Amino acid sequence: MTSDDHDHKHCLEMFEKLSEYIDGELDHATCAEIQKHADDCLACFSCLETLKRTIALCKNVKDKPIPPNLSRKLTEIIENIPKTTSP
Amino acid sequence: MTTTKNPNRKKVRDEDFDLIQGINSGQVEKFHDLVKRYDQKLYNFSLRMCRDHSDAEDMVQDTFLNVFRYLKDFRYETKFKNWLYKVAASTCIKKRRKSKFAPEKELSLDEFRPSEEAEVPDQVPEWALMPLDKLLNEELAGSINQSILSLPKKYRMVIVLRDIEGFSTAETAQILNLSPANVKVRLHRARLFLRDKLKGYFDNDQ
Repeated sequence: MTSDDHDHKHCLEMFEKLSEYIDGELDHATCAEIQKHADDCLACFSCLETLKRTIALCKNVKDKPIPPNLSRKLTEIIENIPKTTSP
Repeated sequence: MTTTKNPNRKKVRDEDFDLIQGINSGQVEKFHDLVKRYDQKLYNFSLRMCRDHSDAEDMVQDTFLNVFRYLKDFRYETKFKNWLYKVAASTCIKKRRKSKFAPEKELSLDEFRPSEEAEVPDQVPEWALMPLDKLLNEELAGSINQSILSLPKKYRMVIVLRDIEGFSTAETAQILNLSPANVKVRLHRARLFLRDKLKGYFDNDQ
């Protein structure tokens, strides 16, 4: 995870905060520190980019259509609710 | 699924407000519109929570029945959608307790932490850089869904609510009755788990 010129412990500290960094949930100073570290460390940069891509893929997986039989069952359930019954 | 009354709290007026007011004032037929608005989202959420299609369908039906049963207790203290997912998550957790499952595996950060001896990559993997629309096909989507299903449920619920359904950390914490810090911990581990699965998928592809 590290080359000779920087500290692996620093990589591990960054690693623990990557999700919060991606989600914009860290303070400005910590964000700047992570950005600087990622600019200097290819292993951490790669870690960050693959994590970002994992999240983007999750966000873009398409939903499946509801099966017609389930749609029918739900309609039946609603029709069987007595019209005079409020929740 | 009752909500604690807080008279000082401002009502959230979202896109479902009028529909719910109508249903609660006796226009029961409007419940159909509410179900149509969310059935597909809820079906997909249930599919990701249950490993079985028939269980997922049961979960959708049970959730909507619970929503109808408890709608009068809805106090508009949150968006209806958030409350709906709270009911769904609770229905899912209760269903799990009724069945005989082995205790769930914990994901430790140590499993994913990069080791000092690991080979330093000379470049970022291609799959992290390619345009998303060129990368995401049906096979990959299927593999992502399978990987999500292989996550222990407590992590799966968090990543599905955060990264698929798009709820914020605070909303997810509220839906699952967890602290925001706990949501963040579970989310990070779930994402790292999925990332490892994706790395495996693309490594095998080459």
